[in-house]
Amino acid sequence: MKKTFIAAGIAALMTTSAMAETVGVTIARFDDNFLTVMRNGMTEYADTLADVDLVVEDAQDDVARQLDQINNFIASGVDAIIVNAVDTNATEAMTQAAASAGVPLVYVNRQPVNMDTLPEGQAFVASNEIESGTLAAFEACQLLRAAGLAGGANGYILMGQLSNQAAVQRTKDVDDVIGMDMCNFINIIDRQTAEWSRDRAADLVTNWISSGEDFDVIFANNDEMAIGAINAMTAAGIDMGDVVVVGVDATQDALVAIANGDLDATVFQDAAGQGSGSVDAAVALARGEAVDQQVFIPFQLVTPANLSDFTDRN
Amino acid sequence: MANQTQHGIGGLTYDKSKRAWPNEANVFIALVLIILAFEALGQILPYMDGQSMLFDFNLNRDDTILNMARIKIIILQVSIIGIIALGVTQVIVSGGIDLSSGPLVGAAAMIVMSFGQTALVNGNPNPSAAFAGDWAFDLPVILPILVGLAFGAFIGSINGSLIAYTRIPPFIATLGMFLICRGIAQWWTKGQPISFPTPQYAALGSGMMPVVWFALLAVVLFLVMKYTVYGKHTYAIGSNEDAARMSGINVKRHKVLVYMIASMLAAFAAIVLSSKNLTAQAGMGQFYELYAIAMAVIGGVSLTGGRGSIVGTVLGAMVFGVIQSGFTFIKLDAFYQLMAMGAIIIGAVVLDQYRQQRGTR
Repeated sequence: MKKTFIAAGIAALMTTSAMAETVGVTIARFDDNFLTVMRNGMTEYADTLADVDLVVEDAQDDVARQLDQINNFIASGVDAIIVNAVDTNATEAMTQAAASAGVPLVYVNRQPVNMDTLPEGQAFVASNEIESGTLAAFEACQLLRAAGLAGGANGYILMGQLSNQAAVQRTKDVDDVIGMDMCNFINIIDRQTAEWSRDRAADLVTNWISSGEDFDVIFANNDEMAIGAINAMTAAGIDMGDVVVVGVDATQDALVAIANGDLDATVFQDAAGQGSGSVDAAVALARGEAVDQQVFIPFQLVTPANLSDFTDRN
Repeated sequence: MANQTQHGIGGLTYDKSKRAWPNEANVFIALVLIILAFEALGQILPYMDGQSMLFDFNLNRDDTILNMARIKIIILQVSIIGIIALGVTQVIVSGGIDLSSGPLVGAAAMIVMSFGQTALVNGNPNPSAAFAGDWAFDLPVILPILVGLAFGAFIGSINGSLIAYTRIPPFIATLGMFLICRGIAQWWTKGQPISFPTPQYAALGSGMMPVVWFALLAVVLFLVMKYTVYGKHTYAIGSNEDAARMSGINVKRHKVLVYMIASMLAAFAAIVLSSKNLTAQAGMGQFYELYAIAMAVIGGVSLTGGRGSIVGTVLGAMVFGVIQSGFTFIKLDAFYQLMAMGAIIIGAVVLDQYRQQRGTR
């Protein structure tokens, strides 16, 4: 991070001519909360840079539309492109389009499938997804042990959209954690998708409650679903002190839920940091500077203990 | 359309010698069959330990032999889309279609919630305040409700006017509005979600309140569609628009009214939805328009207009609720749920079509 900042700073000093860099940005979805924080991080950071203009497009969760947007950026002669991929399996075509036109390309937040073969002039800025689900699941495991449930605990997994790599990875992280000797007392009763949505999660958890099986933990792939689960359990009269609920994202609503003692832990992914990091990388590449091909912005576990550090971050 | 004249205007009358029972009875039978299918799966599937979906003989959990928790969620999870489906039903009966209701839910939720927000959360300023700083908070709950209904009426009157006066197809007019409303939803706060409503606002959709609203509105719409001039004119226009015009119905004005009411119901659904979830997000209501249409169609509302009823749509909504809860009950893998759902929707309509044709032949 620091290196790229310095690199961008030096590059900015050296560019004495008032050549403004235009960076085309295509975001998977404008109405996704996390991606909105990231997008605002980009635009706010770009505003502080005197000679960088961002053009931001909404891919509306449509792979084909996103590739069209990239080709449109190339046709209109942008200096660099930032892609928040709709589908991480569809990035090869994007890489080729940009590489053959000689336009630098930066993937942000979602890891492209062709990460290992990215050509010169392309980079990936994100957090290491494996950290997030693992941090949350392991915290849940420790909380359950602390509650004296090491003899056996039952739980559910609330999954995000099944087509999304983060959902798949975070679910796998839970499986990996409960595969460890220390945490293998956790039994998963059922796992279903609630499509990242609070409302769907609330309905789903209410359905689970109606089956009458007792449970001790809910692993949610994101905070919105964790809050939906909390709403459902509160409505059913379940004491939130008895059930461990963990999410990922550290949204404002989730931080309030932690303060209330409803949510036990979430994981902070520095959305704004990813946004500004991707702008830095794109500008540096456009100016011919060297950029690390992978720039990692770390995840952090958020619990009641360190809550105050995060209240203004996302 | 020889088919339609047999039903008479309104689809409420039918030829007793040829149709054994009203269409709603078919939907009810389908509902019962689906419940029985899930009960059977509960008995057959080895990992289910012979559990029952709707019955619960463990009297420790509640006093009845019914699994009240599951019966409640079956209705609760469809009541918000059900409110939209009530409005969509009268649109389809009038011979139109409304694709804009889902995005309208998103837009209305954002706008309404920005008037329903509370100023302080745990003594701190609301962290997700819309238009932070100089915005009036803690407004009386009637204000967001009125704003929401006014917004719905506004969008609906545009839909209706476009369809009635420029004569563009309802599909196109409401498709355009679909995109406009998604845009409004994102533009209102630049995509930021709005959370933490006032306690009065939160009470609108808490607990089983969505079901209460759904039931109340269903009864009102049922009475309106069956016993009022408004309802009879809606069926008349859907059955034969030219005949309706010749017989002196102000078709244009009536159509505007139909779309206005549909959009106001969708906006009200947005109020209940955002209250239930204590948040409004631009992406809310995704696919709601399609689910609402599917509920109506499963309930026997004919997409060619003039036939269908509120009772049918309510039953159609119940079919949806039973299927959704049934999937979780039998722990069907998430991957198969959409496929199964699609197959059931198609199957239900094919069956209904088949019965009707046999009945009228």
